Amino acid sequence: MTLTQYFRLIDLQARMLLKADASKLTLGYLWWFLEPLLWVAVFYLVFNVILDSKGRSGSEFLLFLACGKFAFIWFSKTVTQASNSIVGNLSLVSKIDVPKTLFPMAAVQESIYRQSTVYLCLFVMLIAFGTPVTSTWLWMLPVLLVNYLLIVACSLMGAYLVCLTRDFSKIIPLGMMFLLFTSGVFFDVRSIGSPDKVNLLLSLNPLAFLLDANRQVLMHQSAPNAVHLLLIGVGASLLIVLMARLMRKNSQYLALRVLSS
Amino acid sequence: MSDKDPAVMLELDDVSFNFRTSKDRFDDGVHHVLERVSFKLYENETLGIIGRNGVGKTTMLRLMAGIVAPTSGKVKIKQGVTASLLSIGLGFNNDLSGRDNAFLAAILQGATKKEANNVLEEIKDFSELGDSFEERVKTYSSGMRSRLGFTTALITHVDVLLIDEVLSVGDAQFKAKAEQAMKERVKGKQTVVFVSHSAAQIKDLCGRVIWIDHGRIECEGSALEVLRQYTEATKRKS
Repeated sequence: MTLTQYFRLIDLQARMLLKADASKLTLGYLWWFLEPLLWVAVFYLVFNVILDSKGRSGSEFLLFLACGKFAFIWFSKTVTQASNSIVGNLSLVSKIDVPKTLFPMAAVQESIYRQSTVYLCLFVMLIAFGTPVTSTWLWMLPVLLVNYLLIVACSLMGAYLVCLTRDFSKIIPLGMMFLLFTSGVFFDVRSIGSPDKVNLLLSLNPLAFLLDANRQVLMHQSAPNAVHLLLIGVGASLLIVLMARLMRKNSQYLALRVLSS
Repeated sequence: MSDKDPAVMLELDDVSFNFRTSKDRFDDGVHHVLERVSFKLYENETLGIIGRNGVGKTTMLRLMAGIVAPTSGKVKIKQGVTASLLSIGLGFNNDLSGRDNAFLAAILQGATKKEANNVLEEIKDFSELGDSFEERVKTYSSGMRSRLGFTTALITHVDVLLIDEVLSVGDAQFKAKAEQAMKERVKGKQTVVFVSHSAAQIKDLCGRVIWIDHGRIECEGSALEVLRQYTEATKRKS
């Protein structure tokens, strides 16, 4: 299979996944917009109306949640879905020798199509609430790229681990729950108080850094730490290369694991 | 593969295959599927593999298609030769139409988008699905699914065709049509490995046959001789 065929197949698989998913729902593709907006509405209701978040205006907190939550959903849903994608394609894996990265990569590609509408929603919300659109927003390009690389790296690793033992399909959602509470989705990591703790959290948890970078760029017109961003990008790229090579080398072994587990 | 032996397309050399199951069953949790199996597949022949269910026939095809690797021994494929496992349906997505599933299956089997689009009408006609071809597969009966699966598989064009029990499809009329289409496909310049537990189908399609039992080759030779021994053994056991 040539590289062109490989990428075409990823894209085709992704489009078919989207089509299949939309065909099951009455509101179809409308859920691409509804789902993230409902998430934000729930968080806004809980944290701003019921718990009455102090020191923030309603719209500011809504945008704060949207910036963090949208980026987090992209990561968590994609990695969880991609992790189960090889074992979920048992009938295909048992009949055809295709690169095993095809399945998690199709899940990642599917998420890009969905996420494009999510970010469109976010930009509309930001503008509607009077956030100034400045050239700083261009920083979103590298931020989104690094976000994507991190998702690909974690998706490939998750898919590999779930093939080795399906127990990981139980552990990965727990990991996502852990990340939800440690990445500053509904609190500002910079408000923790201790600068050491803030630095530690942002250094050890790349997702916390990326969520914060989304907010810094979109809400505060402030550029993220470029070196830190570059380091995450390089780290994720290295992990992608490593996992792709590992999956290629062990392709038949992974098929056997899927067939015999 | 030696250049002195150009007629050999594919060879299993002392191949054993076993795997560890997730539950501790069998021999210390190890399931022995094939034991030291060796044979050669020659260009343009139709080799039949016969045996009861669960003796390792499908595993042999998976080894030949490169889906899994042998535990020991070697699977040698002549350089540049493509081998593909043909079985009913590459796992349909129930929420996609017959057309979308057929298109995806064709692409996965190596067709270009243009080639895949070109064969869709052919698939629709042969499978006799009519307007249902545009409906989601989840609305299909099992017969309709089989017809779509068989027809989609039939379009594969590779050097070595590995066929796994594909002729038990649909009603009597479609089954006859499928057998005829398969006969046309395997005759001429096509190397085929045909797996079945039906002696009649093997006799009809194959020149040489391997009888496999308990993961070992029980007998190998002309279709008539191997099928005679296989039928006698089956009668003795029943």
